[in-house]
Amino acid sequence: MRSLSYVQAKTVREAIEAYAAAGEGARYIAGGTTLYDLMKLGVERPAHLVDIASLEGADRIDTSGDVLFFGAGALMADVAENDVVRRDYPVLAESLSKAASQQLRNMATVGGNLLQRTRCPYFRNGAIGAYPCNKRAPGSGCAAIGGLDRGQAVLGISNACTAVSPGDWPVALTAMDATVEIQGPAGPRSVPIAEFYRLPGDTPHLEFEIEAGEIVTGISVPKTEAGRNSTYLKVRDRESYAFALASAAVALAMDGDHIRQANIALGGVATRPWRAREAEALLNLRTIEPDIALAAGRAAFADARPGEHNAFKIELGARTLADAIMTAGRKMQ
Amino acid sequence: MTQERTADRPRVDAYEKVLGRALYAADQPIAGLLHAMTVPATIAKGRIEAIDATAAQNVRGVVRIFTHEDFSQIKTTPAARGAYGQPGKGHQPMTSPVVRHRGEPVALVVADTLEAAIEGAEAVKVRYAPEPFSARMEDELASPEAQPDRQLSSGDAEAAFAAADHRIDVEYLHPQQHHNPIELISTTAAFEDGELRIYEGTQAASAFAGGLAGMMGLEPTRLRGVSPYTGGGFGQKNGIQEQSVLVASAAALLRRPVKLVMPRGQLFHTASYRPRSRHRVRLGADGQGRLLAGLYETVQQNSRYDGFACDHGANPPRMYGYHTWQGNDRIVRVDTQTPGHQRAPHEHPASYATECAMDELAEAVGMDPVELRLANDAQSDPITGKPYSSRHLAGCLRRGAEMFDWSRRIADPGALVADNGDLIGLGVACGSYKGSMTATVTTLRLFASGRCEIATSGHEMGQGIRSVIAAELIEILGVDPAKLDIHIGDTGHAPQHITAGSWGTGSVAPAARSAAMKLREELSVLTGAPLSEEPVHVQLARTRRPSLEVTVNTIPLGKDAQIIEQLRRGIPSTTGPEYPDFMAFSWIAHFAEVHVERSTARVRVKRVVSVADCGRVMNRRTAESQVRGGVVWGIGAALREAGETDPRFGGVLNNDLAEYVVPVNADIGAIDVDFIDQPDFKLNMSGVKGLGEVAMVGAAAAVVNAVYNATGRRIRHLPIRIEDLL
Repeated sequence: MRSLSYVQAKTVREAIEAYAAAGEGARYIAGGTTLYDLMKLGVERPAHLVDIASLEGADRIDTSGDVLFFGAGALMADVAENDVVRRDYPVLAESLSKAASQQLRNMATVGGNLLQRTRCPYFRNGAIGAYPCNKRAPGSGCAAIGGLDRGQAVLGISNACTAVSPGDWPVALTAMDATVEIQGPAGPRSVPIAEFYRLPGDTPHLEFEIEAGEIVTGISVPKTEAGRNSTYLKVRDRESYAFALASAAVALAMDGDHIRQANIALGGVATRPWRAREAEALLNLRTIEPDIALAAGRAAFADARPGEHNAFKIELGARTLADAIMTAGRKMQ
Repeated sequence: MTQERTADRPRVDAYEKVLGRALYAADQPIAGLLHAMTVPATIAKGRIEAIDATAAQNVRGVVRIFTHEDFSQIKTTPAARGAYGQPGKGHQPMTSPVVRHRGEPVALVVADTLEAAIEGAEAVKVRYAPEPFSARMEDELASPEAQPDRQLSSGDAEAAFAAADHRIDVEYLHPQQHHNPIELISTTAAFEDGELRIYEGTQAASAFAGGLAGMMGLEPTRLRGVSPYTGGGFGQKNGIQEQSVLVASAAALLRRPVKLVMPRGQLFHTASYRPRSRHRVRLGADGQGRLLAGLYETVQQNSRYDGFACDHGANPPRMYGYHTWQGNDRIVRVDTQTPGHQRAPHEHPASYATECAMDELAEAVGMDPVELRLANDAQSDPITGKPYSSRHLAGCLRRGAEMFDWSRRIADPGALVADNGDLIGLGVACGSYKGSMTATVTTLRLFASGRCEIATSGHEMGQGIRSVIAAELIEILGVDPAKLDIHIGDTGHAPQHITAGSWGTGSVAPAARSAAMKLREELSVLTGAPLSEEPVHVQLARTRRPSLEVTVNTIPLGKDAQIIEQLRRGIPSTTGPEYPDFMAFSWIAHFAEVHVERSTARVRVKRVVSVADCGRVMNRRTAESQVRGGVVWGIGAALREAGETDPRFGGVLNNDLAEYVVPVNADIGAIDVDFIDQPDFKLNMSGVKGLGEVAMVGAAAAVVNAVYNATGRRIRHLPIRIEDLL
């Protein structure tokens, strides 16, 4: 039988050393909600698991300084229920509480969540389908292009891949200019979240700006007053326990009635958490009105490229963003 | 004898289930059990050229790898999956190198552990010679059958339609759906006490055991089918599965017990499902909304080899006084696994199409949809001319309209608006389901200690059939439910009918009741006097006998004793809806309120009111639960569910519970249920008609009609999704 070794690390250093010692086929595991799923699907076949769920202090949540700091090992449920986050940064809390189910949020960590992989059915369906997929077998092709592409991305796609980036939390973090703290054999480094996620291009199997052996140790979010006027709106095929068809993270810094700075990111429609700079620019110095919000929504999708069955995501995405802008705007009143 | 029959009584097995003590088929503690896993085909059609099992053999723990070369002795009989009782039909995978659908088992790996079986299955290499195929009925290579499956007519409907003042001519599309009961389909085969016992959560233990024996060339008496509980069946567990005979044969060849739990991803390809179907509905009415003609043509997608009938046309002509009717049902064959019965198998898609068409007609005539239905109420069947045994559909409509406050509906779409700006829509639709019964053999034994044992036909699928049996025994004998042992779903105790088609309660309630009454009679003979008000076991004790046993064969109306022999052999022995003197149906009316968010077009079903005429209600609690479950299925059908097939590959792409979208709690608003609760003693002595299926019939149409009332959009396919309304 396929053997699997397992070690539990107590410190980040121990984990990194254990990973290096394990060699080929090593994987870190925290909450396990993604890795076990991918193992069942045959996407991941680790030979060695390094458990980082109990690293000392890895679940620290610190909201006292200039930044919000979330240890990578903090549970999604704990961050979603944190009083400061709920009160001052609803976009963050909502992105977590609208993800997965309570049972999954009780297990999954906010660090591991950054590394969740796509729900593209051609990617996932290995056992029976064995469909061409450039993520699973680079160079094999993309069955989603020209196939059942209702759920696929309309932004950031390439001729090699149209798979949607699945997360909610990464979308909110993208809007809030978060930084991903990473440690590896060569020491610590910080990666702005905008650089953490790659576009598929010709190498859709390379998704994250992280090297083998490195660990996400934490997430920093700069504090901003815009956090209070923020929201995460998620539209999906059912009211709960589903991935987004379209979602929008919006935070508004206001100058009286006018928007001084809008921070906007989109989910469910793009190959990575999608910062909508065009929409942000359009809102600059404007008041919060439905037609302006919708114009911003449309601007966010100006470059969208739909497939056969997902053109509706352009209109849905625009309206979702417009609704989110209106909701965020109402919070300041 | 004074128990309230319609009591809101807890299920007799509630504690056992809640505490996790109920042992399902895959939970049986069997010593030395081996584990099996299948290797699914990755082509949609073709032949196996070679199987390389070398790597799989080398997986530690793998005991044996079976291929079609090991199973060529298995016979494909009318009991095989997909045959639906028809000789020459059906397909048993792994009996030849032929692959007829994507995902069918091409090898079976048996190992000491589940992990080794899975790893072994993944290591089996299969080389195929693929052939061109069609995965959907719209494809070029799809083959329509030349002759319709069914035709029903009454009068000259074409002429009446042509002459009608108001005409509706519309086509509706219903997608493929999958049952997805939570209990996965499993097979465990073990030699115990000199017989081969097959544990499977089937809805048909006798047909299952007899059919398997036939396929394996065994004496039927050497094989016992045990279905301890069925963790949701919904029609997916009503026969032999693709893996059943493979696991049983593996156990027989290895002389060791073997278990296979089919993973859900594979069940989307090996188990049955509701086939995709198209429905053309033409309705003609006069200026007052009186129906003059109904014309109904349907097409259903089947596999190449199955004997599954297309039966959409059976119910709709019985809904209203159509005056003239013409209907036919056809089949298109494609290269998929065989479809089958799924809760309200044809009645649900048929009611979706015809009840939505009625809504379109109401608008064309300018009539309220409830009034239109009441104006066309009928008390006899237009096809046979026979009267209905009972029909309180008008009562269902009137009571439902009152509970729902239907009078607030405004015919103009979008006229009702909620405080938050959502568009409010109200819709109505009706449904019916045939009143069937089946033969049963029941043995009832009362002990002087107060214990009571009953063995009868039926399967507990969560519908509460044990509670129904208990209700009759409590009423007639006054027995203590805590001292009651109910043996069902086991051919070792009694022959087992297929529990499906809403005939479970209507068959087992009269069976338990007649057995209880016979026991009272015999006890009275023993005591030499009419029975007193004292507990029956006390009166039995006084006769100094430790126990008293009676056996009763119940034979449904219009049948003779021969049907008992059929039942014993596992041959379907049901009757209805046509009986010598009448037609029998259950009836229901559903009312739905939806709120549609203007910006994102999200549809929320805020409230459903459903009023059913199912004859007498046996247990208010389980009956209400059945209806709520049926309504949830209807909401799921209207707004959520569809099996997605990529025509380039075949198979089902969204083959797990995350991607095959069924409603979650957050999708379900209030569901208020009521019953007419009038016994139908023409049908049986318990006055019971079926409920489990009719509960769903029309529910989806009520939601769709409400969506129209909210948005003014006639969406003629299911599910209605955001992109349809944006």
